[in-house]
Amino acid sequence: MTSRDLILGKVRRALHRDGVEPGPVTAIAESLLSEPELGRPPLPEGDLRSLFASRVTLPQIGGTVCVVEDLRDVPAAVRIYLEEHGTESPVALQPDPDLMQLDWGGLAFTSGISPDQTVAIQKALWGIAETGTLIFHSAPNCATLFSFLPLHHIVVLEAKHIVAYLEDYAVAAGHMAVPRNANLITGPSGTTDIEGSLARGAHGPGFLHIIIVDKRD
Amino acid sequence: MTALETDFKPFKTRVEDALANRTLKVAIERTTGTARLKRAAAVSTWPNFAGARDLGRRIKDHVTSNLDHYLIEFERNAIASGAKVHWASTAEEACEIVVDICKAANAKSVTRSKSMLGEEIGLPLALEKAGITRVETDLAEHIVQLAGDKPSHIIWPALHRTREEVAELFRKHHHTPQNSDEIPAMVRSARRQLREAFLRADVGISGANFLIADSGAVCTVTNEGNAELTTTIPRVHIVTAGIEKLVPSLRHAMVLLRLLVRSATGADFTQYTTFHCGPKRPGDADGPEEFHIVLVDNGRTHMLGGDLNDMLRCLRCGACMNHCVVYRQIGGHAYGGTYPGPMGSVLTPELDGLAGSRDLVHACTLNGNCQQVCPVDIPLPTLLRGWREKSWNEGLEPRSVRRALWFWAFAARHPFLYRMATAVAVRVLRLFGEAGWVRSMPMAKGWTSHRDFPKPASRTFMEQYRAAQRRARK
Amino acid sequence: MSLSPSSQMGFSGRPRVGLFVTCLVDLIRPRIGFAALALLEQAGCDVVVPEAQTCCGQPAFNSGASDHARALAKNLIKAFELFDYIVVPSGSCAGMIKLHYKELFKSEPAWRDRAIALAGRTYELLSFLTDVRSYTPAGVSLKAVATYHDSCSGLRELGIEKQPRQLLSNVQGLSLKPLAGHDVCCGFGGTFCVKYPSISNAIVEEKARDIESTGAELLLGGDLGCLMNMAGKLHRNGSKVRAYHAAEVIAGMADGPALGEETSF
Ligand code: SF4
Repeated sequence: MTSRDLILGKVRRALHRDGVEPGPVTAIAESLLSEPELGRPPLPEGDLRSLFASRVTLPQIGGTVCVVEDLRDVPAAVRIYLEEHGTESPVALQPDPDLMQLDWGGLAFTSGISPDQTVAIQKALWGIAETGTLIFHSAPNCATLFSFLPLHHIVVLEAKHIVAYLEDYAVAAGHMAVPRNANLITGPSGTTDIEGSLARGAHGPGFLHIIIVDKRD
Repeated sequence: MTALETDFKPFKTRVEDALANRTLKVAIERTTGTARLKRAAAVSTWPNFAGARDLGRRIKDHVTSNLDHYLIEFERNAIASGAKVHWASTAEEACEIVVDICKAANAKSVTRSKSMLGEEIGLPLALEKAGITRVETDLAEHIVQLAGDKPSHIIWPALHRTREEVAELFRKHHHTPQNSDEIPAMVRSARRQLREAFLRADVGISGANFLIADSGAVCTVTNEGNAELTTTIPRVHIVTAGIEKLVPSLRHAMVLLRLLVRSATGADFTQYTTFHCGPKRPGDADGPEEFHIVLVDNGRTHMLGGDLNDMLRCLRCGACMNHCVVYRQIGGHAYGGTYPGPMGSVLTPELDGLAGSRDLVHACTLNGNCQQVCPVDIPLPTLLRGWREKSWNEGLEPRSVRRALWFWAFAARHPFLYRMATAVAVRVLRLFGEAGWVRSMPMAKGWTSHRDFPKPASRTFMEQYRAAQRRARK
Repeated sequence: MSLSPSSQMGFSGRPRVGLFVTCLVDLIRPRIGFAALALLEQAGCDVVVPEAQTCCGQPAFNSGASDHARALAKNLIKAFELFDYIVVPSGSCAGMIKLHYKELFKSEPAWRDRAIALAGRTYELLSFLTDVRSYTPAGVSLKAVATYHDSCSGLRELGIEKQPRQLLSNVQGLSLKPLAGHDVCCGFGGTFCVKYPSISNAIVEEKARDIESTGAELLLGGDLGCLMNMAGKLHRNGSKVRAYHAAEVIAGMADGPALGEETSF
């Protein structure tokens, strides 16, 4: 007997059954979530963009935020950030069409991302107001390591892609193919492993800067 | 002395060692104290946390009572995503599977991101025996590995080490350590040191916080980002996961994630919550070429439907130990098992046998704080009491205890006899006392070696009450 | 005679209360029993102290000796089931009767039913006074600064937290200082404190420090076991803090000797 049969056999013996109709089980699972409010804390009043921004900049989360009106303003915002942090080294840019088509002026880029990358720029698929979370799905033009190797992680997020709750993301993601990696990122890397005291940049980025693009009309 | 050595000592000796270690007490309090405050703050900002906690309990119970369904659904979807799914009945089998995968991949070096299941099945030792270099990448596990320790907490495995001790370790083991006791500098040093290991590794091994049945994805949560570096860079990613980790869908996982993180660290969400689904896809810029999931039973099917069924809800958040008065005094190593604290005292007898862990189930005041803070309402005191009953019924309790309880129960069943015995007892007790207190009593050293015992009144309540009744009748 | 509890109501319409003093109070500190008696009478109850009472069986239950625990539970059920209420000056023993008796009789349905019926009428003293009898102490005064420790069973099993404070707030001259960790176990744990004395000691050592740092002169609580543990530690450490069961204070009996002070009564 394989271990698979052995384990499933023991499970079924413990549950006193030989098999199971999937339909009813799925229905019960669904009914557990019939009151979504039960499973989450209420969001404070406010528009999603400001809720997101105020969350992600909380000291315990540690992100920084700036808002620009148009995607075309992103390069300037990046330059300001780099100047503020005194980094001139070449930047890794995610080969995302929206980012690629921007006029980056004289900014130097690396090809791909290197293990000791100082800065990487990525575009997030969604932001979540509830938790201040950014979401990335791995794809040919979205390498997972962009979010983890650099010291400074700069993320472009369009305000229209900010949703209220984690579940809103789950529902939206449910309409697309499951990615190899879905990364939900909430602030820069941190650790409390030494005496419970928080230190940034444990393995992932030490800095997370979010440029929110909010078209005003 | 390392934790590995303490294992062979009896529980009471381990406890004495721990209690004598003042630094340990300071270290435990620094981390768990912060954790308690932060958890309380996080919970207080969620008006209906109790409702969510109850929902969490129902989700987990639903999964355990349909575990066959979810295992099959998960397996089917995981395979469809390109993952290889393995099943392991026992710890040994699970280790064998992992080692075989490493060997087939010709792996010399593996990175691991913290997984309590890995500790439970003895994976570190199995890799070592197979001659495979293992690098722990979670900062705490890295400290534990450098010190030759064992984890002493399921969330902060190195919580027993003070910053000074960590600085010392890093000075000894890191290539370019900073001569500093400052925590950020130590963290930077570990970052440099481990970055190399991430790049060198052939295989990355992680655990799983949740297995998502309807997509076949594996969820890991970390704050450091080490899980993603462990699982994205090497050619092979191996997940070891207990079969109780299943959840129906991503939406169910979100509810549990909220409960887990708040209970564990007091944050609302971890910095990195990642859903891994299969190997690298065509065109992907990174990701592992092989993706293996090892589903581990190791006693879980034995708990299913039995006395410990509730324990299968456990999210491994560590809140129960942060709030445990016993854990806070003796720390994790004194427990001697993989899992410390209240949840450990419930699991260790199941994993390692009751005879050797009888002390664990008794060394608890049953004050109930653990259940109160448990995000899925596991009745830990009741489960511990269940073990005590088993221990009693199997005759594992010492003769002295059995005899004392027998006499007490016999007397208490016979009120007349009981009245006489208690009347004598208070008079005898009073002989040991002076000025109201008994400072030392031969039969009650356990009490009087640490505290005074209040000298009883000269007559029992019942004697006095009866006398008063008689007076009133006259 | 009918066995239904309500028929036990006295002529006056006053509820008939069976007072279970608990084995510790019987043995160590009868004053708490008399305080309970007085308070219940003031709160308009006819109080009886059944002779057949001994121990609720909790030590056996928590030691895993369910057979012994069941025997004692049956004893107690028989002694008390004819009363309108059973009142106990201890959250831990009340919790045992209210919550755990039914677990003990999982496979004895007849006893289980009796246990459940009794559980519904079982109350811890202080919460009974406030919640069932709406009792407010009147004319009691005690000039003192006190602090209050919440014993775990009362707090977590029965949800008793406000009631003792509410009663104590009506004692004139008494001021209550908050105790850091008032809801953290004192390390007593019944037989735990003698089975694992050094762990218990480490816990109560911390508790004693917290109590001392409130600056209070009195330590109050609702469970004699925990009070003995804390007071015994405080006394061993040479502390001046004196301990009373809250019922003694509310009954105006706190002018007498505190726990461990020489007494014949
Ligand atoms: S028993 Fe509850 S509190 Fe303890 S680790 Fe498990 S989920 Fe967390």
